[in-house]
Amino acid sequence: MSGSTTEQIERVVSAALGGDRQAESQMLVALRPGVLAVLRFGAFSRWVDAEDLTQETLQVVVERVRARTIDDPCKVFAFAAATARNLALNAARKMLRQQTVVDSELVDEIAQNLEMEPNDLSDSDDRHLAEAVMTLLDELPTPRDRQVLVRFYLDGADKHSLCRELGLSPKHFDRVLMRARTRLRTIVERRAPHLALFPRITSILLPIALSFTFWVRDFGSW
Amino acid sequence: MNSLDRHSLEEQTRLVSRYVAGDLSRSERAEFEAWLVASPELAAEVEMERRLRRGIASAARRGWLKRGSQGPQPAVVDQRWRYAVAASVLVSLVTVGVTVVMPSHEASDSSDTRVASATSLTRLTAPRTVRLGSVRGFGASPDVIVARTDMPRELTIEPDVMVLTCEDGTIDLECTGGTTPRTPQYAEYEMDVVSRRDSALAWRSTRQLANPGTLLSFVVPDPQKLSTGDYDLLVRGHSSDHEEVVARFWLRVTEQ
Repeated sequence: MSGSTTEQIERVVSAALGGDRQAESQMLVALRPGVLAVLRFGAFSRWVDAEDLTQETLQVVVERVRARTIDDPCKVFAFAAATARNLALNAARKMLRQQTVVDSELVDEIAQNLEMEPNDLSDSDDRHLAEAVMTLLDELPTPRDRQVLVRFYLDGADKHSLCRELGLSPKHFDRVLMRARTRLRTIVERRAPHLALFPRITSILLPIALSFTFWVRDFGSW
Repeated sequence: MNSLDRHSLEEQTRLVSRYVAGDLSRSERAEFEAWLVASPELAAEVEMERRLRRGIASAARRGWLKRGSQGPQPAVVDQRWRYAVAASVLVSLVTVGVTVVMPSHEASDSSDTRVASATSLTRLTAPRTVRLGSVRGFGASPDVIVARTDMPRELTIEPDVMVLTCEDGTIDLECTGGTTPRTPQYAEYEMDVVSRRDSALAWRSTRQLANPGTLLSFVVPDPQKLSTGDYDLLVRGHSSDHEEVVARFWLRVTEQ
């Protein structure tokens, strides 16, 4: 996990809050993946066009930053996430009303409760993913780690009861999951790179791009 | 949102699976999503969590993983491939042998062969997976259309019909303690394929355990056996003392 990326985004947002128009543009670039993620993975993802709403969210954010009503970068992140969520909820309500579900409370209830992954994978991608997961499970160092993943994700076993049963600490359990995600990312990037939303190269390029921006801002030339 | 230090980011990373499963309370979710905006790396973790869940479900659907098992058995997959290759070689050898050794029977058997060919005109293509939202099935057009000339080897229906309730069974936006509902309304679900022409049951799935965060998935193993016409896909929820049709979808099988 790269901490510097987050810190650099925070610096860009601080500069934008200080009225730096160039930093403002960089802020929009830096916030875009995160806002898109909230819309793609959040509670209302099935109902919204994430790309469209990302644009709309960033527009609201930049207006708020220019109005100088926020003074802390962390509050900008929270505001962006809340704006994305609200816009998504409104889009969900609108869509359900178009589908003749007219009861307002029912609309909210359905929108809140019905989560589903968008059907964004073809059959062949679905197969690639299944194969990648099988490779991952095969590569895990211990049968216990394999058991953790299968029982947690497939059987829906509860984390605490699994930890008790397998003699794991909650931290170890979390580490197994985090390592599994990291390894899956590597396997997916190798076998079907288009299935990785944010290729690892992003974590290298984004800091370079942001550093370049600061270089130009601070020293005025290349 | 706390300060954006590395330690806090690692703490948020531990919440990834709970976020994807919808297990975070409203305030936890708000804080997590603020972090998501601030960190593309965290967003990548979330994406991989979704892929991991989907990949495991897909592997299980394909029979590569078993629920409640001690873990995957990749060797079994390899062994199956070996059996499949051996069987293909054997069938090829037998076919060649029959063709070479018994050419004189060709004329007399030709009519039978034609009959056999006519009954197997259905062209089988790659397996197909269809996801269906719970608000479908009431329109004027079918939810799923398959052509017999382009019939998938396997038809997987993934209906999004599982309603999550609080632990006490109430349906609410937020349960006591601020958690989101995560108990499936029914413990098990099954799907029937019923012909609209004569209300005959064409296929019934085995019952499937409800697992929050994972879509139900019903694999119709031999869709080519379905004759042309309209079918209802009925998804039924079962609890110990009650059962209910929770969703109905419309499947149409066409000739072309």
